[in-house]
Amino acid sequence: MTEENKNTKIDKILDDTSFVAPSENARKRAINMAISEFESYNEEKKQKNSQGIISSIRHMGTTLFNEWRDPMNKKFLYGGMATAMVVILAGGTAFYQTINHDLVTHVSQDGTTLVPHESPPTSSMQVAEAEIDLGATTQLQEAIPVPKAEKLIGNPTNRAKIAPAAPADSMGLAQADSFASPLAGAPQATMMARSSDMIAPPVMPVEPYDPYYQEQGNDQFEEHEISPVKIVKQEPVSTFSVDVDTASYSFVRRQLKNGIKPNPDAVRVEELINYFPYAYEGPNNKEAPFKANVNIIDSPWKEGNKLIHVGIKGYDIEKDVQPSANLVFLLDVSGSMNQPDKLPLLKNSFKLLLSTLKPDDTVSIVTYAGRTGTALEPTKVSDKEKILSALESLNAGGGTAGAAGIQGAYALAEENFIEDGVNRILLATDGDFNIGMSSTEEMKKLIEEKRESGIFLSVLGFGQGNLNDHLMQTLAQNGNGIAAHIDTLNEAQKVLVDEATSSLFPIAKDVKIQVEFNPATVQEYRLIGYETRALKREDFNNDKVDAGDIGAGHTVTAIYEITPVGSGNALNDPSRYDTADEQTEAQTDFGDEYAFLKMRYKLPDEDTSKLITTPISTKDQSDATENQLFSIAVAGFGQLLKNDKYVGDFSYDDVLEMAQKGKGEDTFGYRAEFINLVRLTKSVSE
Amino acid sequence: MPTNSQREKDLIKRAQRGNAYAFETLINDYYMTMYKIAFKWCGNREDAQDITQNASIKLARSINSFRFDSAFTSWLYRLVINTAKDWEKSQRRHTNSTDTDIEQEISKEAKQEDKLYTQQIMDQITELPRKEKEALIFISIEGMSHKQAANLLGCSEGTISWYIHEARKKLAERMKV
Repeated sequence: MTEENKNTKIDKILDDTSFVAPSENARKRAINMAISEFESYNEEKKQKNSQGIISSIRHMGTTLFNEWRDPMNKKFLYGGMATAMVVILAGGTAFYQTINHDLVTHVSQDGTTLVPHESPPTSSMQVAEAEIDLGATTQLQEAIPVPKAEKLIGNPTNRAKIAPAAPADSMGLAQADSFASPLAGAPQATMMARSSDMIAPPVMPVEPYDPYYQEQGNDQFEEHEISPVKIVKQEPVSTFSVDVDTASYSFVRRQLKNGIKPNPDAVRVEELINYFPYAYEGPNNKEAPFKANVNIIDSPWKEGNKLIHVGIKGYDIEKDVQPSANLVFLLDVSGSMNQPDKLPLLKNSFKLLLSTLKPDDTVSIVTYAGRTGTALEPTKVSDKEKILSALESLNAGGGTAGAAGIQGAYALAEENFIEDGVNRILLATDGDFNIGMSSTEEMKKLIEEKRESGIFLSVLGFGQGNLNDHLMQTLAQNGNGIAAHIDTLNEAQKVLVDEATSSLFPIAKDVKIQVEFNPATVQEYRLIGYETRALKREDFNNDKVDAGDIGAGHTVTAIYEITPVGSGNALNDPSRYDTADEQTEAQTDFGDEYAFLKMRYKLPDEDTSKLITTPISTKDQSDATENQLFSIAVAGFGQLLKNDKYVGDFSYDDVLEMAQKGKGEDTFGYRAEFINLVRLTKSVSE
Repeated sequence: MPTNSQREKDLIKRAQRGNAYAFETLINDYYMTMYKIAFKWCGNREDAQDITQNASIKLARSINSFRFDSAFTSWLYRLVINTAKDWEKSQRRHTNSTDTDIEQEISKEAKQEDKLYTQQIMDQITELPRKEKEALIFISIEGMSHKQAANLLGCSEGTISWYIHEARKKLAERMKV
């Protein structure tokens, strides 16, 4: 290029002020998001200024819900994407490194998000440094060759200028306007922070404004109360449905990684606990599809109380005896799915799943929202090429017109129905449930109806910001399936590969648990978590009432906290346990029982339930195993995130200690990741 | 657009104190300015919308660090460019893994080269001396007349022309390989 040419080129670029106007929707969306972000930011600042985050939460009780809702929803719209992408590229054995790295970097990131408003002004400088560090490591790690850029940035001076510029500004703008050098910028930023602190009164009046900003499609959670403490004499029986969903954990993890304490309603303690695989002892044969392991342990958060730990393990199917599968993917290809952590992640997840299937299994793909149609006719997994190319072409808008959305999916599933096999629809979406039904009710009805005919449905949620958590749960529950959030390829690996057998091959359905406490030995009890899974006492024996499934090899953990009757004087209490009158002598027979555990389940192809019972003896007390310790640590963590008042002085440090002790072998690294997450939460909270 | 700089100053100050109305007005005023910068950077509507959205969100948290020692537009310019770079990075990570067609690749590369060149220039603009940078952003990005720019910067139109001339000269020098 000659000198002159170059000048003309520069002129051309500079003089060209033409542009294509943005769409009105995009403009509105951006403005609304910015305003919400502004609001959350100022809210955080206010909270920091008044009491510090954690203490304010504790005192505010349920009103807290609204305070957190906004920051939670907005932040990861842009924050989480990079996280997801790093993981996708890393692939294979690099996974855990990446995850760990991620956690580490986010420690400093959350510092940049939350600390500056709380700590003394000097923190600005530290923050500026942290950003640069962060940028440097991120760059090293990426190591993606970009030959073009290299050529243009050939000039060493330019390179020096350009390289640090990109990472340095990933968060704040401490140095945005100091063009001289990054080092000169930092002290300036410090002074800035100081002066603005001086100008600003500690609590700023925020003027109320138009409520329309809140109308955006945001992640929705159902509010629910924490399971209260029950008095055994008044309510001796506790009934709930098992829950093997894990969506809440991925969601919470993602928010924490973005430096945000999750909305307490997004934390479902049982889903946190059940996210992790536990090596409980399982049953020996398929006829008794699962086994309950019970242990009684001293409560780590309240002296004198005990925890009844129930660890259920489903029968494990060997891979070679896996039933055949007929899977129909119902994929959302609407515009909003066109983000790195959505459609591309979905495709990669799908590829992972393919690797777990047998050559004879069939897969089909139906798309909706963007363009409705059959992107892939039912195809044997052995024809991998065909499947992959259909998958790759999904961008393009996918396939010819066919039956609408979910109807089409069910039609395909029925067409290829496998007797004695697994027939399942996997609905993947980022929140758009416009799957060809006019109402949620109608959708639920259809899913229920098809469930009866043996076609189940699972829901995989992708991305953040628009997910309707409650609806996901409801649909999956109605469809005898799981609801999972896939936020990284690692998560896809867990849900679709490591646990493919358990998510895909149910060994028992409508599994209900009922625990009847002995008033002679137990004064009070409470179930940790399972708020959304509570059943009426009479529902236990009613086979028409739907409940959760247990898949092959699945583990389900339920923990009760009990207050034993102090004196141990059991003679005056009724017999097992609610036979109205306090008359009999037989009660002494149960003096050494805390409770009686009953489990009802149906085999996958049966409609009549079976019953398993186990007395829980006061003598069932032994040292907690690693699995039990770890699950209790997770339970403690979940309760802390929910600001549960029952855990007293139990702290994140206690969680860490227990989790460390219970870490065990940790083949997949999930527990190590959890431990990092607790550390991160601790730093966000303090 | 910043025809009334007192109003602008006032809005920024109120937004910095946490006034959501003021911030809303401000972001409404400046969305297009940011969008134009983003559009110039990436050359298409969808990407520009994404970048502007990210920049708007970023602005919500960083408005406090604006110190009135430069024109707000030129501060915003830097914010948008940085957002665009971050965005570009995340895009690159993601497209790398999929595309295949070689011919498409080649024509894409040519376009890509043009785009990178533009981005280099835009990046270089942030390194210019303050007045030159501001003049150039007002004229070349915002599309203002020399007169408007002169009003805003409190100098004559002739001075603006000179700033622009200097800015272009420096850019040309800096873009030499």
